Amino acid sequence: MNRSPRRGRWGAFLGIFLALAMIAAACSDGEGDDSTTTAGTPGTTAGTPDTTAGSSDTTAPPTTQAPSGGEVNNPGVFVHAADDEPTTLDPAQVEPGEGGETMILQVYERLLEIGTSGPEPVPSLATEVPTVENGLISADGLTYTFPIRQGVTFHDGSPLTADDVLFSWERVMTMDLPDGAASVLSDVVDSMQVVDDSTFEVTLQEPNAAFLNAVVPAMVSSIVSREAVEANGGVVAGEPNEFMSGSMVGTGPYSFVAWNRNENLQFEVYDGYWGTPANLDLRVEIGANPDIRVLGLRAGDYDTIETDPSFIGDIEGAEGVTIFAEGLTVEPIHIGFNLRIPVDQLPADDNIPADFFLDPRVRQAFNYAFDYDAFLRGALGGFGDFNPHYIPIGIFGYDPAAPVYNQQDLAKAEELFRAAGLWDTGFSVSVVTEEANLFETAALVLKDSIDDLGNPNMTVTVAAVAEAVFDEAHATDPVPYAMWVKNADPFADPHAYVDSYTHPDGEWGEIHGFRQGYVDPDGIADLIDRAKVELDPVARAALYAELQPLLYDDPLWIIAAQEGVVSARRDWVQGFVSNPLWPRPSLKFALMDKG
Amino acid sequence: MQIRDYIIRRLMVLPLLVVGVSIIVFALTRIGGSPIGIYLSHEMSQEEVAELEERFHLDDPVPVQYFYWASGVLRGDLGWSGVAAAPVTDVFLPKLAATMELAVSSAIVAVVLGIALGTFAGARRNRLPDHLTRVFSISGAAMPLFWFAILLLIVFWVYLGWFPIGRSDPDLWARIDHPTNLYTVDSLIAGDFGAFRDAVWHLTLPAVTLGYGATAIIARMMRSSLVEELQEDYVDAARAKGLPERLVLRRHARRNALIPTVTVIGLSFGFLLQGSVVAEIIFQWPGLGRWMADSVLRGDQATIMAYVLFTSVLFLVVNLAVDVAYAYLDRRVVLGE
Repeated sequence: MNRSPRRGRWGAFLGIFLALAMIAAACSDGEGDDSTTTAGTPGTTAGTPDTTAGSSDTTAPPTTQAPSGGEVNNPGVFVHAADDEPTTLDPAQVEPGEGGETMILQVYERLLEIGTSGPEPVPSLATEVPTVENGLISADGLTYTFPIRQGVTFHDGSPLTADDVLFSWERVMTMDLPDGAASVLSDVVDSMQVVDDSTFEVTLQEPNAAFLNAVVPAMVSSIVSREAVEANGGVVAGEPNEFMSGSMVGTGPYSFVAWNRNENLQFEVYDGYWGTPANLDLRVEIGANPDIRVLGLRAGDYDTIETDPSFIGDIEGAEGVTIFAEGLTVEPIHIGFNLRIPVDQLPADDNIPADFFLDPRVRQAFNYAFDYDAFLRGALGGFGDFNPHYIPIGIFGYDPAAPVYNQQDLAKAEELFRAAGLWDTGFSVSVVTEEANLFETAALVLKDSIDDLGNPNMTVTVAAVAEAVFDEAHATDPVPYAMWVKNADPFADPHAYVDSYTHPDGEWGEIHGFRQGYVDPDGIADLIDRAKVELDPVARAALYAELQPLLYDDPLWIIAAQEGVVSARRDWVQGFVSNPLWPRPSLKFALMDKG
Repeated sequence: MQIRDYIIRRLMVLPLLVVGVSIIVFALTRIGGSPIGIYLSHEMSQEEVAELEERFHLDDPVPVQYFYWASGVLRGDLGWSGVAAAPVTDVFLPKLAATMELAVSSAIVAVVLGIALGTFAGARRNRLPDHLTRVFSISGAAMPLFWFAILLLIVFWVYLGWFPIGRSDPDLWARIDHPTNLYTVDSLIAGDFGAFRDAVWHLTLPAVTLGYGATAIIARMMRSSLVEELQEDYVDAARAKGLPERLVLRRHARRNALIPTVTVIGLSFGFLLQGSVVAEIIFQWPGLGRWMADSVLRGDQATIMAYVLFTSVLFLVVNLAVDVAYAYLDRRVVLGE
């Protein structure tokens, strides 16, 4: 009996809680926040309590009247829904194509940047792009001088000097993290020196035509605050810096606010930015399922979303939404041939010998058999194109006249398989891929393509595995599968592509044993090596034009397609610009506004 | 045995159970292969992979790896989450708080509505209100959670714009301290009613989604228990001595009907925790469930181990709490025998 009153109090408490919830819900029908700052006002600092858009006592979705008369959600802050969570925010630890690069692009700057259009570098923290003509590249093409911009401050208030540039690059090479991309610098740079506070000089190991547009603007070459690093763990060889992995101190238009794991990253406009300031604060929502991102865009809570062509059908025709589909990513989707097959490690059903892909006719046959149209029209929804081996469209050296595999030719494939002696004996081979993405679809198209040949003795099995399992197999040497699907890493210069993916002694050349498969490995290597050090663009383009037909005749990959750049945004987004050479999703949010 | 003695005995056995569970789970995760994959990128060389294996002690034999892991746990170090790109311990508590806040809110919805509806229906057996309540209850149990969640999402977020997804308005979240990481509690501690409204507003859709499924089970159990109790002799006796039906129901029948219902409520908490995975993914709730789902898909074994360890302890404690609650409600139950 004496417990009854207590139960009554609990009941009352619960009733009040529910009532509060319902009242809150009832009040949340979009009443405007009187104190909001109109979207697009420069210098708005949402995120600073009590003075900013959406920060007053409202639980309604903050909206404000746009100059055009319409309403925008989340005024004062630009909201982007991204695909991947970064694995790090440290330029010394990030690898090309990883989610952290997207954030580094917004907060850090480099001596030169890839501009809003085209692959040419433009001045950033350096005030000029070095050329032989302006005297900032030595006559032998080895020494580059960068005049450092004055009056630039890091987000921690420290001034930028040439010493910070030297520190940033040395830091990357000293740490030399296995999960980073230090080799982008260390493979190229011979020595560096600070001439004075405003002059930085680099000497290369050999002339390098890719230095200015692929090395200097790379995310790994970002300039970090020496003061911030030294105050937070400093530089230790081979060890990541935990502070820098989870925080950022750069010079860019956005300063880092917070990284809420599995939730969002928040940035605010940096008032002391030396260039054109960002218009709005930035929030990057992380890891939402693609369908939820599409719904969020339709709801107006996201201003831009990262998506892929397969979701365009869900967005087309949606009110207030604009689809951007122009240009191509520079990450061709490829299917690799392993020429060093570890037969004893292959899946049990595989029955191919170790030298299966050494015969170029077999690799050609697979290239002819692949149903390119099915992949482009189906999986990519028509957003994409085909590119020859192996320089993507949009990259210097791409030759539109180069031969390209872009049509399924089953008769030719059969002819080649017969010539190689495989038509009667057949084969069973597995292709490994990450599960549930475009790569798996490419693998399935390959399987269907081989099935189209109508030879029951020839089978392709798709081994779709979790990303971690794929990465482990992919990092094994030799790769324990005969074939695999992935995309290339994005680069701004052709050398990185041909060196990584086609050079007989390059990264994949060594792992896959390209040298033993090419008909003329030395000839291919010679062309690639000469193009690397050729500083005359015309002569360099001619070398790549000579290379591409050789790679067509002697293919080491199936290039399934070059995916189109596709993204979606609200109509109220202004200043939208995309460059596929910027890390995915190829956007600089500081350039955009709402209203 | 006294309740206190029983609790002490169970608590003494708890660490042994946790160690046993951790060994089994650790061994099972390693059967699936090395956890190195989550730390790799597809461009790494063999040497770089070896460096990472050394960094994370993955080049040692599995028992040694377990030793490193277990000693780390004792020091409060649960390893490095490849998915969150941070130490597991740094991320775990805020995410645990988010999940607990959602689970408790859902439980409140489920318990309050479930008991109220069950009582309402049981007292009106085989009349129209009983049938309507049954339809409502069965709908909650029958509808797949993910479908119901998406339905609410599309209607109340996309089309009506009444409720948001996620956990908070970042500006409101940022303006208060978070001593508990429970947004509702922290906002009340800070005396910030705007933040409290924001917390409840963000909680509403996921809590209703999760709570509705459990409401159905609780309501059905409460109803059938109450129907049985109302047929007991002691209820007739209470009526015979002139007690109003309202008091017969509230003071006699409902209390006894709560005994089996409490057992269901305890089990429902497990349902709510499991269901939170779906709700967190769909409503972008930054809790353990969503993190765990990502971790399983991407093979983040440090996170998986931490989660399993946590849920093991939680279930053991909840089990204990249910046993004690059972004894408290029914004095005939003798603990420990």
